[in-house]
Amino acid sequence: MFTTKSFIKKNKIGNYLKHVREHYIRDDIFCGFSCCETCSLVESSLTEEYVNKCSLFKFNHYLILDTNIILEQMDVLEEPIIGNCIILHTVLKEVKHRSLPIYKRLMSIVDNPSRHFYIFTNDHHKDTFMPQKDGELINDYNDRLIRKACSWYMDHLPNKKFVLLTDDRANKNLAKEDEIPAVTTTEYVKHLDEQVALGDKLKKKDSEVQKDAKSIFPPHLSTSAMLIGIKEGKLYQGTFRASRDNFLEGFVNVEGFEDNVLVQGRKGLNRAVDGDVVAVQMFDKTEWVSPSEIVLEDEGVSEENIKDIQKNENELKKNAKNSKKDEIRPTGCVVGIIRRKWRQYCGILQGNSDGLYQIFVPADSSIPKIRIETRQAEFLRSQKFIVTIDSWPQHSRYPHGHFVRALGKIGQQSTENEVVLLEHDVPHSQFSEEVLSCLPKLPWLITDDDVKKRVDLRGIDICSVDPPGCTDIDDALHCRPIEGDRLEVGVHIADVSHFIRPGTALDLEAASRATTVYLINKRIDMVPELLSSNLCSLRGGEERFAFSCIWEMDKEANIINTRFHKSIIKSKKAMTYEEAQITIDDKSKNDSIAQSLRNLNMLAKILKKGRLQKGALVLASPEVKIRMDSETMEPLDVEIKKMFETNSMVEEFMLLANISVAQKILEDFPDCAMLRRHPTPPSTNFDPLVKAGKHLGFDMKIDSGKNLAQSLDDATCETNPYLNTMLRILATRCMLQAVYFPSGAMQKDEYFHYGLAVPLYTHFTSPIRRYADIIVHRLLAVTCGADSTYPNLLNKQKTVELCQNLNYRNRMAQYAGRASVAFNTHLFFKGKVQDEEGYVLYVRKNALQILIPKYGLECNLFLATKGETSNIFEYDEDNQTQKAGNLIIHSFDRVVVRMSLDSKNIQHEKFTLQLVEPFIEGFSVQPLGQTEMEVDTNEAKTDKKRKSTSEKGNNKRKS
Amino acid sequence: MSRNKELLSKIGLRLDGRRANELRRIRCKLGVFTEPDGSAYIEQGLTKVLAAVYGPHQVRGQRSKAQHDGALVNCQFSMAVFSTGERKRRPRGDRKSTELSMHLQQALLAAIKTELYPWSQIDVYVEVLHADGGIYPACVNAATLALIDAGIPLKEYVCACTASLANNDVPMLDISHQEEAIGGPTLTVAALPMSGKIVLMEMSQRFHLDHLPKVLEKALQGCKDVKNILDEAVRLHVQDVGSSTGWVIKN
Amino acid sequence: MALCEAEKTFVLHGVEENFRIDGREREDYRPMELETSIVSHAFGSARLRLANTDVLVAVKIEVDIPFPEKPNEGKIEFFVDCSANATPDFEGRGGEDLAIELSNSLSTAYQSSRAFDLSKLCILKGRKCWKIYVDILLLECGGNLFDAVSLAVKAALWNAQLPLVKSVHVDGNNIEMDVSEELYDCQKLDIKNAPVMVTVCKIGDYCIVDPNQAEEKCSVGSIVVAVSGDRLSTVLQTGAGSLHPTTLVESMKLGHTVGQRLNQALWEALQQIPEDQDVGFLK
Repeated sequence: MFTTKSFIKKNKIGNYLKHVREHYIRDDIFCGFSCCETCSLVESSLTEEYVNKCSLFKFNHYLILDTNIILEQMDVLEEPIIGNCIILHTVLKEVKHRSLPIYKRLMSIVDNPSRHFYIFTNDHHKDTFMPQKDGELINDYNDRLIRKACSWYMDHLPNKKFVLLTDDRANKNLAKEDEIPAVTTTEYVKHLDEQVALGDKLKKKDSEVQKDAKSIFPPHLSTSAMLIGIKEGKLYQGTFRASRDNFLEGFVNVEGFEDNVLVQGRKGLNRAVDGDVVAVQMFDKTEWVSPSEIVLEDEGVSEENIKDIQKNENELKKNAKNSKKDEIRPTGCVVGIIRRKWRQYCGILQGNSDGLYQIFVPADSSIPKIRIETRQAEFLRSQKFIVTIDSWPQHSRYPHGHFVRALGKIGQQSTENEVVLLEHDVPHSQFSEEVLSCLPKLPWLITDDDVKKRVDLRGIDICSVDPPGCTDIDDALHCRPIEGDRLEVGVHIADVSHFIRPGTALDLEAASRATTVYLINKRIDMVPELLSSNLCSLRGGEERFAFSCIWEMDKEANIINTRFHKSIIKSKKAMTYEEAQITIDDKSKNDSIAQSLRNLNMLAKILKKGRLQKGALVLASPEVKIRMDSETMEPLDVEIKKMFETNSMVEEFMLLANISVAQKILEDFPDCAMLRRHPTPPSTNFDPLVKAGKHLGFDMKIDSGKNLAQSLDDATCETNPYLNTMLRILATRCMLQAVYFPSGAMQKDEYFHYGLAVPLYTHFTSPIRRYADIIVHRLLAVTCGADSTYPNLLNKQKTVELCQNLNYRNRMAQYAGRASVAFNTHLFFKGKVQDEEGYVLYVRKNALQILIPKYGLECNLFLATKGETSNIFEYDEDNQTQKAGNLIIHSFDRVVVRMSLDSKNIQHEKFTLQLVEPFIEGFSVQPLGQTEMEVDTNEAKTDKKRKSTSEKGNNKRKS
Repeated sequence: MSRNKELLSKIGLRLDGRRANELRRIRCKLGVFTEPDGSAYIEQGLTKVLAAVYGPHQVRGQRSKAQHDGALVNCQFSMAVFSTGERKRRPRGDRKSTELSMHLQQALLAAIKTELYPWSQIDVYVEVLHADGGIYPACVNAATLALIDAGIPLKEYVCACTASLANNDVPMLDISHQEEAIGGPTLTVAALPMSGKIVLMEMSQRFHLDHLPKVLEKALQGCKDVKNILDEAVRLHVQDVGSSTGWVIKN
Repeated sequence: MALCEAEKTFVLHGVEENFRIDGREREDYRPMELETSIVSHAFGSARLRLANTDVLVAVKIEVDIPFPEKPNEGKIEFFVDCSANATPDFEGRGGEDLAIELSNSLSTAYQSSRAFDLSKLCILKGRKCWKIYVDILLLECGGNLFDAVSLAVKAALWNAQLPLVKSVHVDGNNIEMDVSEELYDCQKLDIKNAPVMVTVCKIGDYCIVDPNQAEEKCSVGSIVVAVSGDRLSTVLQTGAGSLHPTTLVESMKLGHTVGQRLNQALWEALQQIPEDQDVGFLK
């Protein structure tokens, strides 16, 4: 228990303070070998049974890794063929310092006992610690420590063999001098048994730089030069966001700037990849341009050829000259990369070329194509796989990367689901044994003790209303008349927090997953199925635990009082929306369920009216439902979801419950209540809406939510009934994302929920599929004395961190859901050609963006082939119209288009649109069945840039 | 504040290489000065404190302060201006020093047999030379040693120690400045370790009730460990002083 | 410390006989112990123990703006704190008068550019300079504070290491300094001529140096001479009592010679201090 030796480490920072830190050197650090007799035994997964098979060494050996190996060759290390590795603490610290994501990956390997990794704390071990010498660089010092640890191991365990794996030439040579066997990863991997696949995963560091290779890109500034530039205000730091439509355009979000900085062209982007933190240099104001309105795709095929880029660039320049004054944006160019945010990308191989080098096309169109080196091109051609970027040299048109792993055959449902999940960072592995062990044992019985602690509502007629096929029912309702001509309304939510106790593995897993993700034919549960579809699901006729929120209301839906308690309920019936609607409408039915539904419906209408009067927004986003063939798992039909009155009825009560709970928990936890806010969008966000409204002669008032709601209600057109919906779709896209936050982190007036127009809001009603609701349940349970607090629940900092994760996962889950819909829509359209009604959403210079309500699709109808201006259409930028002869196409005009799926690019299957109606000579095609199809070369492309839809309480229920 | 830093690594070592339940190195010496009646110096890790005891003597200044039933214990806590990273402007008299003086007095009163010296006064002065976390415990421990050096009868050792929570879960002992800066709440406990009585407890932030028992237990264990170290130092010192006057100590 | 008449006479006779109460001659110093680098987180530090007088000095630095009238000079500030550990009289603000007297005498002694060259502390003319804080903590008083403090200060400054400024960027009002974070490439201060103070005390008809507390009580007048190299940088009279001009000149001469000897001894002692001492108060 006592320390053995101490030494002092000094450094100075800030206002030149001298810091002194203690550093204890110990004699009780275990070497990690169970056969060792001198060290005190601690758990270690190093084992003699595992053999590293590398033909360079004729004997079994243990690997000691240098920092550069871990930082750069993580993909290789993640392969199970490499085992028995010793990670030195010196290395671990440096890895953590340099890259947190890599550190996390490393730790997950270390935690996996089957990989046989061991962390040796060399810097606190009495024999392997050495003080830093005066003037010694930190890198040299670390290398020296690594070598010291190697030699120590060799002395300590003379009958074991150790190999130092390092890609640092200097370190390798010095190790050789000390007679430590050292090899580089490339050498090592080459001599491994399974080297084919592994070789692809090697990060290519020293890619043959041809001396005469022409630089395609301007050089990057050095880090110090950038930092100085930023300090002096000559350069700006920001996050680069690539355009999805135009591979030669992007934006840099600079903090403190009102507008994003526009960057264009190869030189402007200068090897920045979406997400990177970059330094930008601003151009002179006279050189500022507006964002181009053309859609450009990278069609390059080889690494060196840049002619097509140059052509595209010229086009951009031409475009820039015509920039309109009022759309001019601050423009600049990227001069250096401050921090790369490269991750792993899903995608496919491009083309059919042979050879070692292949071009990889990422699924995410904001990511450039990547050059990889592979010996298994034939195999990869049929696969979707993952690639990571290693570097982007100046002379290469594409970044260089390496293969990580294959996901499955292209076009298969399972592969595509995997891609969607991976691209959106959705945790979707099986629940671990540890998590499953937290589940209650079956048969699950309600004990007398439970009954004592809860209010028994089993006698009340409660029912649930959900979409068809829903198995995770988390809410149920009841309504009954009580004395004084009042109604008692109850919302009963599954008591998930009863089963998920704080701090358990189950709780941590659920908190990490944050939400259930719904794909078209797959549901990725937040909690294991036993809970989500059975014990927590408020199924009809079964006794279940619930958390009830019960109001007494008068007939005008005024709340007289509210109470919350845990209860036991027995739902009389689990209904679908349709069934509930029929029950309400069927006058012959007069049982208690029907009556309570009617009362609920009546109250809901009053509530809704009141809510809308206060300025709640009714927004629209096309939501489609895909009917699947249950056997072949192929989509049968795509249709817009049907809405019943009962949808809105359930939604109203869920909103009311959420609001009531929010008030209650904020009262008792002013600092750490988990709330949900929807920030008021900045007025510039509404520009497209106002502009569109102006063209149509509507005055869109955006100064307050209430006025906006009013304007939207007023903007109707008799001849075009869909117009109002279109405006609402536009309005939806102006909104910001609603987010969770702990009450202590914001000022009171920032709690406001814009979309719902309520000062306080939270999520309480779906604990089975949202983690935020579980936290809210726990808080509420404390306020009504049903449960006790635990430390993290009251820790503001922890709640802030939790909220960040919840917000991130929610956003990703939303995107993943949409991606899944898009894929299945494509699958459905494969080989079909149809004429459909559509509406012009935006008029662009070379295309019309068309919304097809029936499928909720948004596609581009190209008016001219790329790089050329149409000789049929005239673009009027001020009025946003395209004119062909006498015909003028406005935004929101109704059109009929022919849709077909262009599968030339398997990864980016796109819809090709052809105009059918209005008929324009030389451009439009005849309606189907009238004439033979003309072949039009116009390209079209789906555009899934559907921005966040705003909160609509509970209406985004399960698909 | 860096959120990436974990106070306790996966391997169970803290940033400075200690384990969760280990104290920092304690070195101490009794009788460092000749002028005071008792004096002591203690190092806990890098935290360094000098303590001096004067008395029991006549009550200075206002005679009316004298108590008929026991000695007046007068404590002054002071920090050298260079003791902290940023230079302090005043060595004492600020609010924190006054508070610590009072806490020190509170802890010492619990141990000193004041009833033996009515109408008199005992002065205890502590001077922090280097503050690197756990100043208060170091002061209490140093003062105890100085009191022993002054030959003032004590009920037993009074020792103090800090404890905190690593990674919101594991209680850890004797918090260094670095850990204080990164970490969560710190619990300071002064106790009479032999009888297990707590004479002072203070928290820097809110502690959740669930954590308190285990952290408190840890801190008490720390006080006991400190007591053992101090006790050994006292015995060695007595042996030293004694042997110079010709005592022979058996065992 | 209170002395009765008989004791005072005893001290007086001792001085007359050149055999002082502790057995020293008139120009002898008591034994000294010197340690440097004792405060690890300060840029320089020293502890001097002169018999029972114990002084701890630490040097800290900050970046500051030069005085407008002296744009080419850095700053040095002395702060003395009389710890109550030394005597209960210092409790609260009790030691402040003494502290101010000591720090003022140091400021005056270091004011001359011959004694200590402040222009070396200037980083950028009129804009940036180092400010050196010399913090003196008085831990025990056994007489002759001035001498002890000045020696300890000199030793601490000798020990001090100033961070190396690698480069300075100026951009309008912004000044960016690139300071080496490595401890090994630091500058040492030039303290060759830093003043050493000698207290000369007149007891009866004779002058003595390094009076202990008893002797201080018997003094009829004393002066403090700050010796910088071969010059006197300040002379100040302390305590009550008066001196005859001739005695004053004699005392100054005595102070001067003793000061030079003392300075030499300090210099030699500093060179002999081992690198890694880890003792401090544990000795």
